[in-house]
Amino acid sequence: MPVSTQRPVAVFKVHPAIVSLAALAALLLQTFLPLKLPLARLMDFPLLVTIYFALMRREKAFGIALGTGLGLLQDALSHGYIGIFGIAKAIVGYLAASASTRFELESLVARTVLTGVFVLVHSLCLAALQHALLEAPPPFQPIAIASAVLVNGALGLILFQILDRFRRPA
Amino acid sequence: MPAFISRHRSFFTLLAVVAAQVLLLSFQINRNNHVRLIRYWAVAVFDPLERSLGGLMNVSSNAYRSYRHLWRAEQENQELHIQLVAAQEQIQRLGEEAGEAQHLRTLLEFKNQLAFQTVAAEVIFSSPGDITSSPGESSNAIYIDKGSDSGLTSDLAVITPEGVVGKILAVFPHSAQVLLITDRSSGVGVTLATSRVQGILKGGSNGLCGLHYVMNEEAVNRGEALVTSGLDRVYPKGLPVGTVVNVGDGGIYKTIGVKPSVDLNRLEMVLVVLKPTPTEQQALNSAR
Repeated sequence: MPVSTQRPVAVFKVHPAIVSLAALAALLLQTFLPLKLPLARLMDFPLLVTIYFALMRREKAFGIALGTGLGLLQDALSHGYIGIFGIAKAIVGYLAASASTRFELESLVARTVLTGVFVLVHSLCLAALQHALLEAPPPFQPIAIASAVLVNGALGLILFQILDRFRRPA
Repeated sequence: MPAFISRHRSFFTLLAVVAAQVLLLSFQINRNNHVRLIRYWAVAVFDPLERSLGGLMNVSSNAYRSYRHLWRAEQENQELHIQLVAAQEQIQRLGEEAGEAQHLRTLLEFKNQLAFQTVAAEVIFSSPGDITSSPGESSNAIYIDKGSDSGLTSDLAVITPEGVVGKILAVFPHSAQVLLITDRSSGVGVTLATSRVQGILKGGSNGLCGLHYVMNEEAVNRGEALVTSGLDRVYPKGLPVGTVVNVGDGGIYKTIGVKPSVDLNRLEMVLVVLKPTPTEQQALNSAR
């Protein structure tokens, strides 16, 4: 998995319009799908989009910006406090961009594992923020977190395959 | 520092973004009693600082106040000390004046009782010891502040209410030298108050006098008082002279030590007995 110094790293670029459309679609799915599918409550489409494009662009600033933007929008569309998802997704976007420079990401296994790790990091960030800031934080639910990791890991496998169609080599 | 920041630019960017969103959250989240989190944090940050500053100001203010109190107390202490010293000096002076006044009153009363005229004089200094005195012995002559301008002449008796002091040895215009009875060259005609034995009192050593020419057969007791006999025609009769302190038999005469009744080391005011006029002398003779 670590990047070999002898094998060239594949660099891709994605059209900004694709990024915007993907972000919009993620937000729409996030707000619409849970009404129809109970399992969708565990899914985090904006998070998966953040992970994918941060890994793809390999730029930390881009990862931070994308994660912050999607997170804030997600907060704005929810009934929670604005900034919770923004902080968590900004951290994930930064970490994903950092990881992209260190790991080979073309294999499915690598992507799945990394996706699972970042989902876990995202969930832990949310829990930490809630415990730090809220007077009465929700209880820590490790089973729910584990479930979210599995579900989003599997979803990421499918989503990343779809988004791979829109990338071009740099 | 700028190089470090630029090397880790993306990380610091992440920190800035997270901090901004935390700030945004703090404006939304309420703590107990509907206090916004931002206000809660602001109070939490500034409260210790304000308490510390307040405490520091209190300490400084108290320290300054204490210093001022101490400084004022020190000033007051110095003033009181000066006043105390002045008061003590005044007390001492008044005490001395009172003592002097009492002494003068006693002297005046004594003077008024006397049948002869006297002139009061102040002892101004004592003359240095001469070759007849032993080293360390006090002087046997004093100087008084009255002289020929006050009618004094030589060989006048000098007395105090306690007794005989001596006689005038030399007279100057404004002062006079007095030979004390403790001087070896001095001589006073005396009578023992009890046995009525007469003798001559001469100066001795160590501040004592000696009574001479008293036969061994005469009975002389220790503690017996001596008075002037008047036979020397210098000292009026009946004035206290001293007390017998030791008695011993000699060859023919007794050796008698006499302690003068006057403390000759603490003379301040004396009376000089003036020569009586013929009328006064007649009155004195008939009184005897």
